[in-house]
Amino acid sequence: MMRKGVEAVLLLSLLFFTSHAKATRFSPPGKPALTRCRSPEKETFTCWWEPGSDGGLPTTYALYYRKENSETVYECPDYHTAGENSCFFNKNDTSIWVNYNITVVATNALGSTFSDPVDIDVVYIVKPNPPEKVTVSVMEDKGWPFLRVSWEPPHKADTRSGWITLIYELRVKLEGEDEWEMHLAGQQKMFNIFSLRSGGTYHVQVRCKPDHGFWSEWSSTSYIKVPDYFHREKSVWILITVFSAFIFLILTWLLHMNSHSLKHCILPPVPGPKIKGFDKQLLKDGKSEDVFSALVVSDFPPTTSSNYEDLLVEYLEVYIPEEQELTLEESKDLHDSCLKSEGSTSDNDSGRGSCDSHTLLMDKGEAKEGERQTDQEESQTEAQRQQKDWDEEELTYTHEDMVSPDMSSGRVKTWPSVFSPLPQYTLSPLVQRSSLEMAKQHCLSDSMFPPSSTSSYLIQPGNSTKEALGPSHWEFSLSNKQPQLLHPKTQAHSDINISSIGHKQTPVSLQSPALRRTEYVEVQRVNEEDMVLLQPIVCGEGCPQMRQAEDYSKVRGVDSDNRLLLQREVAKEEVDMCPYEDQEADGATESCYTSSDINTNQKPPACSYTATPVQDNRTLPASGYVDTATMFTLPTY
Amino acid sequence: MAHRRTSGSKLLMTVLYMVASCSAVPISDLLDRASQGSDKLHSLSTTLTQVLDSHFPPIGRVITPRPSTCHTSSLHTPNDKAQALQVSESDLLSLARSLLAAWVDPLVVLSATVNTLPHPAQSSISNKIQELQQHSKSLGDGLDIISGKMGPAAQAISTLPYRGGNDIGQDKISKLINFHFLMSCFRRDSHKIDIFLKVLRCRAAKMQPEMC
Repeated sequence: MMRKGVEAVLLLSLLFFTSHAKATRFSPPGKPALTRCRSPEKETFTCWWEPGSDGGLPTTYALYYRKENSETVYECPDYHTAGENSCFFNKNDTSIWVNYNITVVATNALGSTFSDPVDIDVVYIVKPNPPEKVTVSVMEDKGWPFLRVSWEPPHKADTRSGWITLIYELRVKLEGEDEWEMHLAGQQKMFNIFSLRSGGTYHVQVRCKPDHGFWSEWSSTSYIKVPDYFHREKSVWILITVFSAFIFLILTWLLHMNSHSLKHCILPPVPGPKIKGFDKQLLKDGKSEDVFSALVVSDFPPTTSSNYEDLLVEYLEVYIPEEQELTLEESKDLHDSCLKSEGSTSDNDSGRGSCDSHTLLMDKGEAKEGERQTDQEESQTEAQRQQKDWDEEELTYTHEDMVSPDMSSGRVKTWPSVFSPLPQYTLSPLVQRSSLEMAKQHCLSDSMFPPSSTSSYLIQPGNSTKEALGPSHWEFSLSNKQPQLLHPKTQAHSDINISSIGHKQTPVSLQSPALRRTEYVEVQRVNEEDMVLLQPIVCGEGCPQMRQAEDYSKVRGVDSDNRLLLQREVAKEEVDMCPYEDQEADGATESCYTSSDINTNQKPPACSYTATPVQDNRTLPASGYVDTATMFTLPTY
Repeated sequence: MAHRRTSGSKLLMTVLYMVASCSAVPISDLLDRASQGSDKLHSLSTTLTQVLDSHFPPIGRVITPRPSTCHTSSLHTPNDKAQALQVSESDLLSLARSLLAAWVDPLVVLSATVNTLPHPAQSSISNKIQELQQHSKSLGDGLDIISGKMGPAAQAISTLPYRGGNDIGQDKISKLINFHFLMSCFRRDSHKIDIFLKVLRCRAAKMQPEMC
């Protein structure tokens, strides 16, 4: 029993020790593996293997091979020439077109392990050495440099006999760049590279490959610096400079030849002042007394009414407002501001008012006087801008530019001035109906604005509807320039609605006869406030007939909006406009306006003035028009 | 009179001969063209082998026939460079032509049976086999011309009959294995042809050292 126990103990200890020995990583070697075999020239070849784990014990490796037709197993002849874990087969041991079956064996104290066998044929594993003696030089071709790269095949590869046929490839890059430029050179041993950068340094490498095999490694880098060929570029710059100088000279010459017309183009001649009676020559002569005496016009300031035509504004500019509403508020403020703004605005050309100038009064809604002033000024400038369209038309009318700032203030901008104390007014005989109608046409096209409902004085083009726009256009313009010129634009300041009402045809028909029977207003005088005082002319032969059919002398009443409603004697419900086209005055008043409420068009069709209330009982002359001047004495709005 | 005629005819003959010889293509160019053809042939066979390798049953590695069982293995060819460079030009050409002729029949068999080949790239393989046949035919014709220029010794061709029959196997595995084996034999033989012609080219191009 004891013996058995001792045996058991011994056995156990033996087992223990053996197991312990194993636990301290002693094991047969791991499986090696042949990594690759290569032949540089198809005459010798080398095989490399990767050892497995060595099992903790010194391990030896052996390579065995067998050729295809024999069963004889040979061991590797040379383990050292090609380095660690390699086997080198020299020429004597190398056969081509023969399969080699190669195996590597790892052996240590505990055992040996075989690798997987590998079949190779030498002719399929050719990888030559890199090309040798790579030379790079800079050569010149008609002044432009290029690189010439030349090399030689690896000395081991026998290309002379045709045993190996090599093709080459080279790559080039500039110093500092990352991208190589590849060039396939075929079988030749020389290559040219063009398009070089002046002064750059190039890196060049070459490699080769057998016709059926692997690419070699890249040769060592060759460096080459391209010299600066700036002189070549310099000549180009010189050429460019000369050429541009030549062009510059030509341009200068051209400019000089056309300097006069260019001057006109860039700096248009500013019209100089032309003052009647001003003699430049006299001034140059130095006789100031003569000059200034010539300026003194005997009839200025005008004392008689005979020269009114020369001095006074001829055209009544009527602004057609945008707003529909005929509000009568802010009348006073507007009145004054309008006057002021009128004085501030001055144009060179007479009659430069425009139908657009309603915009001047567009934002009359604001109750601020200053605001209104600025608005008017702004819109006035805007109107001026818009007036350019009508320049052509004006040119036909206008003569030479005559600027008379004082006179220009006489342009009708605001109605209030007209409304103030002009008891009577006459239409200028110079006004021509035809031109008026023509002008009307113009205004018709222009003033497409919805009547503004400003509280200012606006002559509304009458109506919310467009149909009535035509006949209800009033074109009044006051200009100090040409008596003949009828300003084609309408500037309506007043709240007076000039509208043939919203009625289509009938107003027109009524209108035209009414037009023909226009009342004439004669400009009486210009008062100190730059207001033209009109007085009606009692027409003789030359005057057109008075309107007999329509008598707007009766006032029907004043509506809630402080509108004066006139009534025609003729029992027509439709109310026409009393056309007073040719009114000349500062802020010409419309004599008889039958206005409908533009907003709603619901106003009584009777002739009504949206102007001041009351004064409706003023008697009208037999001529049949209502003297609105007296009506609108007070700008209550 | 007759004397003058014979001399005149001789002169004519000489002139004609010279013209004919001057217009003849130098043999180095012919060989250059032939070696290009053989290069292409080998490339095709290499591609085909790789295609077949991609779908090769693992068992095939074990039971594939040995290369020594190629039907052209009986032809003795040089085994290394030293031997190869000692072979005469005529012999080299004769070897090339023999090898090329030996593959006419097997290629016919392969093209006939490729449709039954259980391979995913069957159509591609079929196309390549067709190409191989065409190239082989044109190269054979070219080599015939060259051999005609090289003298009677180059005319000798060794016959290497193909004994594999008209099919390449009955079952899927054997078809694949046989096809692969045949192609590997052809790959090696095409390489031999290529090498021989390139050696010949360099030998004939002594006036143009840049070629070799």
